[in-house]
Amino acid sequence: MTATAERQMELTLPMIPDIEIAAARAAGNLARELGMASESIDEMAHAMIEACINAREHSGSADRRIYVRITGTSLSEGNSRIDIWITDHGKGFNIGEARSRRQKLGAVHKRGWGLQIIEAHMDEVGITTSADGTTIHMVKLGKKND
Amino acid sequence: MGEIMTDELRVAVDRRGTTGAVLYTKGYINNVGGEEIANRAYELMDDGVRSLLLNLRETKIVNSIGISILIEIIEKMIDKGGKIGFCSLTPVIHKTFQIMGLANYAEIFVDEDNARPTMEL
Repeated sequence: MTATAERQMELTLPMIPDIEIAAARAAGNLARELGMASESIDEMAHAMIEACINAREHSGSADRRIYVRITGTSLSEGNSRIDIWITDHGKGFNIGEARSRRQKLGAVHKRGWGLQIIEAHMDEVGITTSADGTTIHMVKLGKKND
Repeated sequence: MGEIMTDELRVAVDRRGTTGAVLYTKGYINNVGGEEIANRAYELMDDGVRSLLLNLRETKIVNSIGISILIEIIEKMIDKGGKIGFCSLTPVIHKTFQIMGLANYAEIFVDEDNARPTMEL
């Protein structure tokens, strides 16, 4: 595959209600520019929403900011790739514990689905986390919209 | 900081007989939207509704917090011996419901016409 024409966007978002929609729309616009199919864009949007909500609700960051970086790459044969990095400067978290939390209907705790949803909707997910903050890197590969 | 312009969820209800109802959503189902749906659903349950169809045709985005509230609604309806169904989901919302296991406890229909016989509406 030959990658060409990278597009890039960086956003610094306040941690306020529904800010995740702004992030998802920005990524969606970039993906549409690359000709990504609507359903792929929709999946990516939902994953971004969950990642931003996780940062807002769980990071405990003092600066109350979400740092978003999005790159879009055109691949051969009309395909495309969107890379998204969502970063907070919070306290980090235990990835193993978060992944092992699989909620079932009837369970006392009905929250904590974000990471599972992200991993189901995106093609690649990588997380780096420490006491200085967390970055989740998500990749969506797209075929050209018909 | 100004307000973020999002589609605040709107909910409309159409009663079907004494025990049935269709609840139509329009907009983003987040924590606030989920609570609005819950408030309307619980009112309907208190009024004797035991078959409730949620038509999400005009909802394109849900988040996991909103879905967790929908799960609570389903649990309450099951406790009352009733049933809840969903229809007109986007493919991604359908997939998200399946991930969260909601599809195991509430039937999902393509559209309202397909839901009517099973939901007795």
